[in-house]
Amino acid sequence: MADETKEMTPKEKQEVAKPQEQTRPGRYFVPDVNIYEFDESLKLWADMPGVREKDVEVTLKDGVLTIHGRVATEMYNGLRPIYTEYNVGNYYREFALHESIDESKIRATMRNGVLELELPKREEAKPRRIEVRAA
Amino acid sequence: MALLRFDSSLDPIDAMLSLQNELARFMRNPSFGSGLSGVGAYPPVNIFESDEGAMVIIEAPGLDPSKLNITGQGRTLTIAGERSFSPNGHGRGYHRRELNEGSFSRSIQLPEDYDVNRAEARYEAGMLQIKVPRSEHARPRQIAVQTV
Repeated sequence: MADETKEMTPKEKQEVAKPQEQTRPGRYFVPDVNIYEFDESLKLWADMPGVREKDVEVTLKDGVLTIHGRVATEMYNGLRPIYTEYNVGNYYREFALHESIDESKIRATMRNGVLELELPKREEAKPRRIEVRAA
Repeated sequence: MALLRFDSSLDPIDAMLSLQNELARFMRNPSFGSGLSGVGAYPPVNIFESDEGAMVIIEAPGLDPSKLNITGQGRTLTIAGERSFSPNGHGRGYHRRELNEGSFSRSIQLPEDYDVNRAEARYEAGMLQIKVPRSEHARPRQIAVQTV
């Protein structure tokens, strides 16, 4: 496992092309995500470095999941840049969910700049084993 | 020339815009004389100055802080770590897999005015902040004028 760790390569942060028709000032970035499906739920992880738990907004409306993270900027107080390799900004991304999700049971946590979302499926969307009876 | 300084007490929108402009202005600043290993390598590094010293701010979400290794030698800071992703549970496959995984190591050579041996690091919300104080001999000193 750890023996074959590959070297990490950077990804250029991608700016949001056009977050709907909203007047959002400044640059917005698209968070990278992993989405895995389990029998009972979907799980999503989104990289949002610089965002604290209280500054994340997750909504699910009409099958569209929206993630919005506001980046903390106080750490830059009194600092003058001399060399930079990345820019900072808030994060925004939307997903159309095909699975039926029980909104009331969505759980979100932030850990080390990564949003973890658990999206439990509604009962009717869970896979069910169908017994095949011998005739 | 006025030295622009970021100030978050500004209106939040103005603060964000001025920060973004400042960061864009110094993007891969060629006049920054210090040596950086692997420009364009992971993780991306921003370097700032303040009255107290230098501040290196690295964007690296999801690291295991116990596997983060920061060393200072001479004028060089080296940051190494790794990130692994392994969801628990019985998965039925994935829809997206974009998160970065693996190990990294990067070195930053700071100008002589900074004292790498007194550096302090903190990892919060996926941002690694390393504060490197100015060396004693590089601090501005008030020089008293004696009257004869």
